[in-house]
Amino acid sequence: MKPITLRQVTTEAKLLLIGIPVLIWTLLPVYNLFLFSISPKESAFAGNLWPDHPTLHNFEVVFREQHYYLSHFWLQLWNSLLIAVTVGVLTLLVATCAAFAISRLKVKGGRAVMNLALFTYFIPAAFLAVPMYKTMGNYGLLNNQWALILAMLTIAAPYSIWVLKQASDKLPYELDEAAKIDGASPLQLFRLVYLPLMMPSLVAIGTYALLLAWNEYLYAFLLLSNDRQITLGVALGNFLAADDSPWELLMATGLIYALPPAAIYYVFKRYMVGGLTAGAVKS
Amino acid sequence: MASVTFQNVEKAFGSTKVIHGIGFDIHDGEFMVLVGPSGCGKSTLLRMLAGLEEISAGTIAIDGKVVNDVESKDRDIAMVFQSYALYPHMTVADNMAFSLKLRKAQPEVIKERVSRAAKILNLEPYLARYPRELSGGQRQRVAMGRAIVRDPKVFLFDEPLSNLDAKLRVAMRAEIKALHQRLKTTTVYVTHDQVEAMTMADRIVVMHDGRVEQIGTPLDLYDHPGNLFVAQFIGSPAMNVIEGTIKRENGAAHVVSRGGVRWPLRSAAGSEGQTVAYGIRPEHLSLTDAKTSAAVPAEITVVEPTGAETELLLQAGEAQIVLVTHGRPDVNPGDRVGLAVEPAMVHVFDQQTGQRLAS
Repeated sequence: MKPITLRQVTTEAKLLLIGIPVLIWTLLPVYNLFLFSISPKESAFAGNLWPDHPTLHNFEVVFREQHYYLSHFWLQLWNSLLIAVTVGVLTLLVATCAAFAISRLKVKGGRAVMNLALFTYFIPAAFLAVPMYKTMGNYGLLNNQWALILAMLTIAAPYSIWVLKQASDKLPYELDEAAKIDGASPLQLFRLVYLPLMMPSLVAIGTYALLLAWNEYLYAFLLLSNDRQITLGVALGNFLAADDSPWELLMATGLIYALPPAAIYYVFKRYMVGGLTAGAVKS
Repeated sequence: MASVTFQNVEKAFGSTKVIHGIGFDIHDGEFMVLVGPSGCGKSTLLRMLAGLEEISAGTIAIDGKVVNDVESKDRDIAMVFQSYALYPHMTVADNMAFSLKLRKAQPEVIKERVSRAAKILNLEPYLARYPRELSGGQRQRVAMGRAIVRDPKVFLFDEPLSNLDAKLRVAMRAEIKALHQRLKTTTVYVTHDQVEAMTMADRIVVMHDGRVEQIGTPLDLYDHPGNLFVAQFIGSPAMNVIEGTIKRENGAAHVVSRGGVRWPLRSAAGSEGQTVAYGIRPEHLSLTDAKTSAAVPAEITVVEPTGAETELLLQAGEAQIVLVTHGRPDVNPGDRVGLAVEPAMVHVFDQQTGQRLAS
């Protein structure tokens, strides 16, 4: 092993000096969330660093739907999951096909379409909420989960197309030509060459769209109103409607709500590696 | 196996014409090299033959059948790319089998053809590896393997060796040539390297600015370059070209260059007083006694021994001259020497048109 130089030590120290405060800054709210969720109702606001009587009772209440606000907990969790996964899958489908058409098949006007789609981001999503509400009303989709799915797809797609287009622009074009000469139709090229090579970006974009939909509040709140249709996020918001909100239950549910995204992130993280195209062409 | 015919082929990108009506034949089983400086249109011509570029005008035929509107995959050609273009997510075996799988060949047939190709190319130990786990030369061989499993009518090579280091390039050059001698498939090979062209080709097409300058066997181009461009492009080190005017006196002809140096001319080519480009290859010059009357006086500026040969840079009048000799002459920079020219090896070109003057 090489001896550690002073320079390395100071570099390390500087990194730690920045890293530790950032870590505390990031984890403090999460710790608070956790603290609330394991505190009994009466001591939730005690302000201790660790509750005197930590308990898992709050989780039990949540899982058994033993509170008015939580009467559809499992159904709403399922709604959230269903909507998020559907948005993720549909966004991938739309964005991958669009990116392939624009970047690889070089369809005429493809870039214009992409820029037009990106143009929607000039208007804050919140301003689009009311027009979106009206549009979904016209289609008769209000209070239907498809309304939220389509709305989220609309919001996620332009960015996804753009990212995937950038990523596929980086794939060497000779691969397409080689496949073409090897006898691949555009569809075979898409399936056998393009998709496998795009996998890291696809995972990233799928996760992005899924989490976007999972975390969405405004559109979910507007487009869905029935207790049996809404997502868990909206249900959490409803807690605040009461004068005396059950904070400890809200936080316990919030913690549960935060777990799937964390899990998804850790599962898919290893797929989001670059270097898949290494060895394709000499650069 | 097949012949290939280009007829008045043109290519334009927008309003920019890059290929100006090219026509020639490639015979069945021939190894044809397209050579020229970058931007001369050789790769574009190859890509048009491959079906990767539209043909703006004229026709390209494979085996007598016009393929202008035939898709790449139906032209029965295989191409080796400069960048190899291997599928990075497939093993060597899968890379080679890809085209056969797309053609829905029987699994036994695929296996047999892949293993045969792997044997020819010494790739057997690497069949299960991914391209990223291979060296440059191995990747190059996989790209060739992908082409030969197809057993196509025509092989197309687009500068396949330019990404390899010098040593490997020479080795692969021989391998490709040996492969062609073994398979005897019609081959079109694009390169900017005239040494590659000379060593590999049955015939060479020299291209320049979207036009064919000359077509011929390597030695034909070397011995009888049709114009100044071919003369300077073929051969290494390049031919010495000296500007001058033809002078005849006492039955002997000379080209007198600026600085008054007289270069001997055997032939009756050109007319008295005509401005010409006088070409002589470095290997057709030799050192002689400066006092000989026929000798061209020169001064040595640089001596470059390479072991087998010695390359001399000389100043003759205002012209910079290169001389290559097999010996190891005992000379030093600054020495005044005489140059002996083999008059039979002199090429004379019209200074204006660059065309060879009949000799």
